[in-house]
Amino acid sequence: MPVVYLIVGLAVGLLVSWVACRHRSSFIPVAGQAPVPVSAPAEVIEQRDVPEVAPLSVVLDALPIGVVYADQNGLVVVRNRMATHAAGARHGDIIVNEALEGLLRTALQGEERRQTLDLFGPPARVLLVHAQPAEAGGAIATISDITERARLDAVRTDFVANISHELKTPVGALSLLAEALADSDDPDVVTRLSGKIVKEAERLTLAIEDLLELSRIELGGDSNRQEVAAVRILEDAADRVRGLAERRHIRLEIQDNGPTLAVVGDRRQLVSAIGNLVDNAVKYSEMDSIVRLGVRLDGDRVTFSVSDSGMGIASQHLDRIFERFYRVDRARSRDTGGVGLGLAIVRHVAANHGGEVKVTSQEGEGSTFMLSIPASPASVAASQADNPILAAG
Amino acid sequence: MTELRKSFHTELAEVHAELMRVGAQVIEAIPRATRILLDMDLEGADYMVQGDDEIDARCIAVEEHCYRILALQAPVASDLRAVITALKMTAELERSGDLTVNICKAARRIYGHEMNPKLRGIIAKMSEQAQQLFANAMEAYDESDPAKAAALDDMDNFLDALQRQFIQVIFESHAAGSIDLQVAVQLGVVARFYERIGDHAVNIGEKVRFLVSGWMPEHVGAVRHRMRQEATPMAGIPIPTQADRNHDS
Repeated sequence: MPVVYLIVGLAVGLLVSWVACRHRSSFIPVAGQAPVPVSAPAEVIEQRDVPEVAPLSVVLDALPIGVVYADQNGLVVVRNRMATHAAGARHGDIIVNEALEGLLRTALQGEERRQTLDLFGPPARVLLVHAQPAEAGGAIATISDITERARLDAVRTDFVANISHELKTPVGALSLLAEALADSDDPDVVTRLSGKIVKEAERLTLAIEDLLELSRIELGGDSNRQEVAAVRILEDAADRVRGLAERRHIRLEIQDNGPTLAVVGDRRQLVSAIGNLVDNAVKYSEMDSIVRLGVRLDGDRVTFSVSDSGMGIASQHLDRIFERFYRVDRARSRDTGGVGLGLAIVRHVAANHGGEVKVTSQEGEGSTFMLSIPASPASVAASQADNPILAAG
Repeated sequence: MTELRKSFHTELAEVHAELMRVGAQVIEAIPRATRILLDMDLEGADYMVQGDDEIDARCIAVEEHCYRILALQAPVASDLRAVITALKMTAELERSGDLTVNICKAARRIYGHEMNPKLRGIIAKMSEQAQQLFANAMEAYDESDPAKAAALDDMDNFLDALQRQFIQVIFESHAAGSIDLQVAVQLGVVARFYERIGDHAVNIGEKVRFLVSGWMPEHVGAVRHRMRQEATPMAGIPIPTQADRNHDS
């Protein structure tokens, strides 16, 4: 038995010393060469023993675009991870691959070509596939995810269309009404027209006030930070909309759960933001329904929620409703009033307070908007004291 | 393995890959058709109607490829089942593609009429469910996974339930006067289109189970039929069984 131990011990000892020798050889200068300080960064980077193929594929896989290279015979020899999973869905990847093969084939015949794929997914993605002949022979293709760029393009073009709709429509109406008024002698007509002019002027004033409010909040200048009880914000927001809610027979239900939560923020801004959410919930709910307002603590954040069981929002609009002047249904926007700035204001108030606003919705079933901002340090401490496990930690 | 056989398996793989590509087009066409219907996008509808010709052409090409394989290679056992499955799947894919086009055509017929949010919400849900079913069916085919294929039936029940719910909402909306009779009838047909897409996905699942094990859903009925036939070989005149004879004596 001791003999076996001896042999194993010797073998391990030899192995360790051999490994140590190999390691040392790559760092310590060999006699005869110019001495190089061990700590020199240039030496560390220039390690020639490292195999080059493995890191290259690692680098390729880290790229945010897909890269595919096919040799002269049309055989794909390089393909990074993004090129295989660009669409984020199995059937989408099959479609991307088919487009890729077609473009590579034309590129191998010496023609550069690009194709945009608008995939419904889910996830919905816009991909740009581009293939060109490679200088060294063969063809190289790239796949770029331009979903965000396409979205921003849509935002920009819609913004111009929407702002002109919201601001020009009342101005156009005003000038037409004024012309008609100038031509009329009938006192009844004059009364009716002037009433309409007042209404349109009010609408325009409202639009401009909203726009000013938005730009004030965007600048974030005159914000007045103080500790505010969360439930008071909900109550004040509900009070602002109570008149409309009563006219539509909608009950506003405030769920006040447990410990008094507080946030540090600009009270006026927060009430205006939650008020906008409640206002929307009431406007887009059916008569005789309930709108629920709630507040809860999520870790170190306070989440305000406003839920309705109204008409809901179709999924393709969900990530766009927080844009300025965006309208889900432009045809109906005049019935519900407002100019399409409410949710943009909510988003900016959330951002000003280091928070965010989220929405979940199903068309025909209702929506829930959630605004979460950091809780005041006192509320977090109080909630931890309530919870024995956290308090002990 | 001889060179001839190798090329045969390459051909089978080609058929499989082409069916997956056509399947991917159908999966993508389902939400596209739904968006066209909900937005009443007539231009998009025309585009989809033309796009379906491509699916038809590709299905015919796969079908002819299968005939060629059958005629020239005379495959047996699982290879034969693979070709037969592919042949039957072309029909399912082609028909499902047609159904997405039918949804687009419905957009033309109800153009100018508004749908209430409840109707729109259920249409969106039916579309999601039909697409999910179809994607799962194609995955089951890709992986030759009979368990995944068998699970499609349960998913389809949910789609059927959605369809029934949708019909109910159509009745309610019509009664409340928010849609007229013409639109109500068209929407009822649309619900049927989604439900049929789900059925085709279930059929694909059954083809996958046939591919793997040779099982067909019709076997259950066929066994019942055979048992009835054995019990009554001469139609209408029951032959006394052993039990009857014992009773008589």
